[in-house]
Amino acid sequence: MFASSVQTASGRYGAVLLGERGDVIASIDLPDRGHDITVSREAGRGVVFARQPGTFAVVFDPAGREAPVTLTSVEGRHFFGHGVFSPNGNLLYATESDFEAAQGIIGIYDASDGYGRVGEFPTYGTGPHEMLLMPDGIHFVVANGGIETHPDYGRAELNLQTMDPSVVFIDRRDGSLMGQLRLDAGLHQLSIRHMAIDARSRVWFGCQYKGAPSDSPQLVGYASMDGAIELIELPPETLADLRNYVGSVAVSTDGNRVAVSSPEGNLLVAIDVEGRRPVLVETLRSGCGLAADDKGFVATSGEGEMVGIAGASREPQHFPFLFDNHMLRIDA
Amino acid sequence: MRKLLVGMMLILSGPTLAQEAPGKVLEAAVNQVIRPGMSAFAEKAGVLEGSVAALCSDPSAEGLETAHDAFADAAIAYGHVEFIRIGPLMEDNRAERLLFFPDRKGIGLRQVQAILANEDASAADVASLRGKSVAVQGFGALEFVLHGTGFEALTGAEGQFRCQYGAAIATNISDIADELAFAWQQENGIAAHLMQPAPEYDDYRTPTEALEEIVGLVSHGLEATRDTRINPFIAKADAAPKPKLALFWRSGLTMAMIRANLEGMRRFIDQSGVARNVAEKDKGLDNSIAFEFSNANRALDLVTSPVEQAVEDPKQVQALHYLVLVTGSLQAQVGEQLSAALGLSVGFSSLDGD
Repeated sequence: MFASSVQTASGRYGAVLLGERGDVIASIDLPDRGHDITVSREAGRGVVFARQPGTFAVVFDPAGREAPVTLTSVEGRHFFGHGVFSPNGNLLYATESDFEAAQGIIGIYDASDGYGRVGEFPTYGTGPHEMLLMPDGIHFVVANGGIETHPDYGRAELNLQTMDPSVVFIDRRDGSLMGQLRLDAGLHQLSIRHMAIDARSRVWFGCQYKGAPSDSPQLVGYASMDGAIELIELPPETLADLRNYVGSVAVSTDGNRVAVSSPEGNLLVAIDVEGRRPVLVETLRSGCGLAADDKGFVATSGEGEMVGIAGASREPQHFPFLFDNHMLRIDA
Repeated sequence: MRKLLVGMMLILSGPTLAQEAPGKVLEAAVNQVIRPGMSAFAEKAGVLEGSVAALCSDPSAEGLETAHDAFADAAIAYGHVEFIRIGPLMEDNRAERLLFFPDRKGIGLRQVQAILANEDASAADVASLRGKSVAVQGFGALEFVLHGTGFEALTGAEGQFRCQYGAAIATNISDIADELAFAWQQENGIAAHLMQPAPEYDDYRTPTEALEEIVGLVSHGLEATRDTRINPFIAKADAAPKPKLALFWRSGLTMAMIRANLEGMRRFIDQSGVARNVAEKDKGLDNSIAFEFSNANRALDLVTSPVEQAVEDPKQVQALHYLVLVTGSLQAQVGEQLSAALGLSVGFSSLDGD
């Protein structure tokens, strides 16, 4: 199955579950625009997070037996679009923002007891975006995008001159910081936002550049728990086509390729993680959502398209709704 | 007869038209709006620099009034071009150095007060001022110098340091304005890339990319004016008004700056002709956008009191709330309807970053 946030033809927001053949299995209404989705087989639940800065997260039953439950952000905190379950499905973690202090937060929710908020950890940075659980089941990796926002000022970016993005590894058991990795100081306006983990537990990330459009910094790289962080060299034409913007990152089923997308540049790129170079470049208007799909990837677009790329045998399909930025694969 | 033929040709040549039209729009955007706007800002900033320097060498009430007027003129001239957040304005933190706002934690205010209290000589020299925090070297800092607590000292000898710091800020603003005007005047710089995109440029490779950029500038500019210049200070269902979150409340230029922002964007749409370069069925859009801008202007006309009083007066509050609505509706007209009419990528995952 696949899951994605969507906007319907009438302009309403929701999330959909699609079967392997792209058949719509279920849809969920959302109070406002959603963003990423996470699912736990152990908990038997999925969660759609509000787009940042948002005030809701909707817990749903992928099997459709129970009605969705809406969580509301606590005072002084906003949801920031992403989250994960603990390995046993008992806890839900969400990226959030303490907007008065401009500090990133991981909100902790008790999935075994009505999703009450039972605690929080810092993300050791500002504007956290995607978070993932490392394969060891013990550490989180969080992308601190570095951008400060505050509800008094909508989505205005308040600190472009002092942005300090980082990738952090955090111990899930006590919230302690295991490592914080930054790119070169000259790249402080390169916001690290989305990630996927390859077969060797390296964290591939995609960035969005907030400096002058005429700069063209590299946008894709990887970090590892042993302290390495590095941008790879994409060929100039591919980099130019990404338009300083990576919207999502996914890893293939075998963990040997990552795919990145740019809805700004209408581009999808699949990268061989060992060769560190593109093995496929394809265009998809407003393409952003990416998920592993048998031998390749499935990609979705803000215009309602779903296509298979890089070896995925799938006929292109058009849906009567617009896909949001992320696509999640849910293994049966 | 001739008119009819032209009309028919327009209809028949739909797809080619879409490829030919952007050139004129882009050229008009640069030559009729951006370049003159940046030059006007540089000119007003030059006057500001001169008037603050004159105030320092001969402090007087008249001199201060002249400096106040020059500050307003320069701020408004910047307000007209502030939404053009591409190229030189986005390099070297120029946008933040010109106007660090919002200053949510009041950091800039504290830094400016510390400079004044300690008479920090390095802040009165433009070369060393440039290396300081972005919050102490632009319009926000100069507004405090000219209008904030203790500004009266500027009319006499006791305000000497305050004035010299103000003069350094005014020079810095003028220097940055000159850099902006110069960069836009270059024959082979961003202006050329925007007017005549080419595959070898990093920033604008096709007319569509350039068109997406200019439409995006207005759409994002409208959002920024609403979210940072109007919304923060008006009352909400669950919160009292916060007039001190308004830009330039000390100088009484809050509404003038909002007006300047909207006027800059209105002119940009109108003089570039971007909303007229659409298919016949979308020809009404240009008028609808112009109509909505005039609605915004009428609402601005109703807000006549200083912002602290305006937020307490039901009629003016209503006008302010209406401004929030109308800027939202303008944003939808430009960012969604106009983008669609121009055949630009409007898939909602690419409308703005996440």
